Amino acid sequence: MYEVFLNAFHEKVPLTDAERAFVQSFLMPKKLRRKQYLLQEGDVCKAIAFVEKGALRSYCVDDNSTEHIVQFALEGRTISDLYSFLTGETATYHIEALEDSELVLITKQAHEELLGKMPKYETFIRLQITGAYIALQKRLTAAISISNDERYKAFAAAYPEILQRVPQHMIASYMGITPETLSRVRRKIVRGK
Amino acid sequence: MNTKQTIAVIGASGNMGTAISVGIAKGNYKILLIDPAKDKLNNTLQEIHKYHPLADAEIVDCSVNAGWEADMVILAVPYQAEKAIADKIRAVVNQKIVISIANPLNDTYSGFETAPDTSAALELQKLLPNAKVVKAFNTTFAADFYTPVIDGKQVDSFIAGNDEEAVQTVQELITTVGFNPIIAGDLTVSRTLELMQLLLIQLGLKNNYNWHAGWKILHH
Repeated sequence: MYEVFLNAFHEKVPLTDAERAFVQSFLMPKKLRRKQYLLQEGDVCKAIAFVEKGALRSYCVDDNSTEHIVQFALEGRTISDLYSFLTGETATYHIEALEDSELVLITKQAHEELLGKMPKYETFIRLQITGAYIALQKRLTAAISISNDERYKAFAAAYPEILQRVPQHMIASYMGITPETLSRVRRKIVRGK
Repeated sequence: MNTKQTIAVIGASGNMGTAISVGIAKGNYKILLIDPAKDKLNNTLQEIHKYHPLADAEIVDCSVNAGWEADMVILAVPYQAEKAIADKIRAVVNQKIVISIANPLNDTYSGFETAPDTSAALELQKLLPNAKVVKAFNTTFAADFYTPVIDGKQVDSFIAGNDEEAVQTVQELITTVGFNPIIAGDLTVSRTLELMQLLLIQLGLKNNYNWHAGWKILHH
């Protein structure tokens, strides 16, 4: 129920058994079925979700009701509307399960308490947020400066499992291109091999 | 709240379990119905759909799975049954709101099974140390959920709990059901709330309130 999270924590910041139990007491286990929402736009994001099992996506919806996928999260990844979580403002993202999923939720309250009580948690969170920031920077740089072909190749190389488990139209949305363009890109890459 | 929350009602086939399930089905909730008497749960489901045809409710076999899926758990079981259930769901209700509705009445309704310095809710909190136990729905009878206004007055529904956010969430739930929520205090106040219902039951038996009565604080 908490193993993937606690192991990920332990890998970054080693924990004693007692510390492991202490962290665990603050975690909320939560199952989500496919197509259920963890968060919808307009609510405050009250927890960071760590994926123990399954797959989720976060997305925003524009004025024309078009969805734009911000992030996918498979096992071992975290997902949230970090802006809403940290500021307490309402969320601009929806977070939806793409598969039946098992999550570990760290609520804002648990987060604050752990930050205050456990320096190791602060270190872990700093590493998590640093990782997320780097991923965001890479995504932004790719989006504004390299071709669709190169971006797709880089995405496929970095996240092969997402390609296996997520429908193509969502990958296209994530890349900010139409499904037709994505098909062309994929055909071109296959031909190029 | 836009995001649908999932509530597991354990003991959903009983009078109170059914009434609570029907009451909360008004809101934006997914309701998971659990009871060892599984055959009776169809009746609960039918009752829910009779009053709220579009309600998102379903029968779930396993209290552990239901508790794991839920954002909030309502223990609609007698006090005597709470320990066994708490042992089962302890791991999956970590950090979650668990509502204790039980009044630890003895068989003759003459008093409580709990010691004078504790309550059903405080005992449940001891059994579920990492859950946010909230006392609620213990001062309301099953019939009140169908008619939360008695003699022109909206029935008060009292809440006691230690976690402010959890108490607030339960307050919203009570408003959804149709009662007037009153935050009574921290979880130690649950003892008073349980005693209030003991009195109401005793008076009801004496004066034939026919299990449809409630508390109302009158004030300016």
